Amino acid sequence: MLTVVPPFVSYPFATRTLDNGLQVIVSEDRLAPVVAVNIWYDVGSRHETPGHTGFAHLFEHLMFQGSANVARGEHFSTVNAAGGTLNGTTWCDRTNYYETVPSHHLATMLWLEADRMGGLLDALDQDNLDNQRDVVKNEKRQTRDNQPYGSWLDRLHELSYPEGHPYHHSTIGSMADLDAASLDDARSFYATWYGPDNAVLSIVGDVDTEEAFGLAEQYFAGIAAKGSYPAPPPTDISPRLAGEVRATVTDRVPVSRAFVAYRTAPFGTTEYDVMQVAATILGGGRGSRLYKSLVLDQQLLQPSDAIVESWPFVGGATLTIADLPVREGVSVETLEAAYHAEVERLADGITEEELDRAKALLTSQWLHHMASVDGRADTFSEYATLLGDPALVNEALPRLLRVTAQDVLRVASEVMAPDNRVVLTFLPAADGEEAAA
Amino acid sequence: MTQLAPRPAPGAPRDWHFPSFERRTVAGGRVISAHLPGRPLAVTSLVFDAGAALEPRGHEGVAEIVARALSEGAAGRDAYEFGVAGERLGAGWRASTDWDSLRAGFEVPVSELPAATQLLADAVRDATFSDDALDRVLDERIDEISIERSQPAVLAAEALGASLFAPTSRYAAPDGGTQSSLDALGREDIRRYRDARLRMETATLLLVGDLSGVDVDALGATVFDGWEGAASGGTPPDVEPRTGRRTVVVDRPGSVQSVVMVGHDGPSRSVEDYVAMTTMALVLGGMFSSRLNMKIREEKGYAYGAFGGFDARKHGGIFVARASVQSEVTIPALADIVAEIERVHADGLLAEELEQARAYRAGVFPVNFAGVAPVASGLGDIASHGFPDDHFDRLRARILDVTLDEVNQAARSRLRPADFVTVIVGDAAGFVDDLPGLGLGEVEIVRDGL
Repeated sequence: MLTVVPPFVSYPFATRTLDNGLQVIVSEDRLAPVVAVNIWYDVGSRHETPGHTGFAHLFEHLMFQGSANVARGEHFSTVNAAGGTLNGTTWCDRTNYYETVPSHHLATMLWLEADRMGGLLDALDQDNLDNQRDVVKNEKRQTRDNQPYGSWLDRLHELSYPEGHPYHHSTIGSMADLDAASLDDARSFYATWYGPDNAVLSIVGDVDTEEAFGLAEQYFAGIAAKGSYPAPPPTDISPRLAGEVRATVTDRVPVSRAFVAYRTAPFGTTEYDVMQVAATILGGGRGSRLYKSLVLDQQLLQPSDAIVESWPFVGGATLTIADLPVREGVSVETLEAAYHAEVERLADGITEEELDRAKALLTSQWLHHMASVDGRADTFSEYATLLGDPALVNEALPRLLRVTAQDVLRVASEVMAPDNRVVLTFLPAADGEEAAA
Repeated sequence: MTQLAPRPAPGAPRDWHFPSFERRTVAGGRVISAHLPGRPLAVTSLVFDAGAALEPRGHEGVAEIVARALSEGAAGRDAYEFGVAGERLGAGWRASTDWDSLRAGFEVPVSELPAATQLLADAVRDATFSDDALDRVLDERIDEISIERSQPAVLAAEALGASLFAPTSRYAAPDGGTQSSLDALGREDIRRYRDARLRMETATLLLVGDLSGVDVDALGATVFDGWEGAASGGTPPDVEPRTGRRTVVVDRPGSVQSVVMVGHDGPSRSVEDYVAMTTMALVLGGMFSSRLNMKIREEKGYAYGAFGGFDARKHGGIFVARASVQSEVTIPALADIVAEIERVHADGLLAEELEQARAYRAGVFPVNFAGVAPVASGLGDIASHGFPDDHFDRLRARILDVTLDEVNQAARSRLRPADFVTVIVGDAAGFVDDLPGLGLGEVEIVRDGL
């Protein structure tokens, strides 16, 4: 049986760079009367300096607090009143802002984004900073400190990247650094990173390409280029660990859970692509090896449709992570040993059927993601920002489909080797025992 | 220096209607198909009138177990082979339950619609439901609940449901069941629920996507042809709401936040003032710029967010406002949440707030229904609730029509401060002494079992 690949695998787009350096990407899709506006700024938590962890994300919150011609609260209310949805996110490599609206509101969305790209400082004040600092600290409490296993992500960053590396700290940052953030820090961060020549604007959906470029020019051309940006902190690092790293946390958790992370060559490399396929063969879907062995046959692992996944980091090395919560009554040592045995078994070879299944699943997942205007806009911005070329979007699926069984065996044996893994284990605290801080 | 163009006015909206669809009967079964040209993926799924609300008391959670067991082997394939068969088509299997329906199906490249529909038919008509598979699915679900209950927000929702309805009401327990209800569930109970509720007469097949060249009748026949046997059971739950104020504290020592919920029972989906009531709730707690979020997050910084609204089910419902607040401000945050609800109840909304809520709610239809999967989900709601063909267009028109008098009337009648049930999951020592001062009724303190 052949792998299922429908004929719609290429997405039309056009790109232009305004005189101030803003790269604009337009992809028409007239199926529904909606349009997505998506801006990526080439700044994230890896650009933070010591003592300022968490600042890129805190700053993202300040971007919703009003700007030169937008009152406090008006950004959200304007998008909502247009029948639109919106948000912003921050991760290690980037910060993004996006709106999806009925297409006749496109110009208003561009105006809103331009107003905060060019005029945030007019609205920034101590009250806004203090309020959003409290909000972000509560975001950290809600998603990390008050959640079982909530520290896993921060711990994996610390265990997988050495002190001083920009990925050593996670995006949420420390409470102490958040407390120390000042209005001057915010002004300086904005002045340093938030310029049109450090951003990509994608417009996807129900709009004529030339009209979209015209609107982008109309609203963004008046924002002055910054001309230069500081070199980001160096990310050079070996794409392999020098030996296994282990850590155990006793905490208030219901069952034991192990995370196994491997250093992997960054997003955009062939190794990263091969690991996407390897991760799907091993732990993507109910037909994967780990699902069959650990969930169905041995009943050691809580079921999940995505047991192994990779982060799309571009600096030096990223991580491929297996998430392994035990079934009740199973020791985490037993689960971990069975997991490693399954990984080692890859060396015995994989079948064409397994490869076909993985490629069919990856194809559908890609088509699903790219079918929505917001998903497609975010992907064009992502490839333009992180890899420097939006045309690579249309290469992404063909690259996955070219991966061979030999590629998987070779790369997986290097990446998923015992001396290239971090094993982070959570154990339930006994009653009355002190939980981890 | 920055020179910005003036703020633009919106252009002319493109006409929008919910996608047109066809209803037909094939081999005695209901089929709804919507042709959305140009989409690479299509949905084939079944909606059954088999949601959690219809479960017998004592068998809470059985519908979800049935949904999960459907893919654990069927028509001669074991669980692994069934998974592989779908995934080789690029088809992601989804099966889930809510209060009002059980839904199962695939999203798949449109060329594979016939093969995926055959697998779907195998799963719902010919699932093996072997002893081993049922035992494993049940055990996995029980383990999953213990993980879910370690999250304070899940504990709070469970405590709220148990406090809003008499124990005899199905709505008193979570829709996914409890560890004790699932512990008591036997294999025969699971098979019996499947046999009683997964029948042709309770089913609607949804086919959504680029259906040019797709033989809808043939796919309908794949699912329905020769499907014998009648449905049984399906008694709607007693609602039996409780009245008066009371407070339940789930003590979770060491918590750095308190999860706070304030609510009462609420109307079903079919009430006349549904649009007025839910538009009012949008202003209270359903948008970023809602009263609750602006007060708790944007003014006070007490929480990452605060929300509130109605969950209007087929046979009943609830109203709840909620936030996860820093422990030290549990009492003032709770007081603010209560005050914001009471203020809307007593004074209603401002005209501009209603205008914004109407604009958002009517405007967002094209965004919400832009893709294949959301259209299939909307058609599932039409099938599940028995809505007419023009349901979404009428709903949108009604939203644009709703008046300030109507929403303020809904605020007076549908928000019931006298019946507030408050749940707090947090470190009780930090706030419990100050609770009586809020006048939220008798306080009961239980210890988090974890």
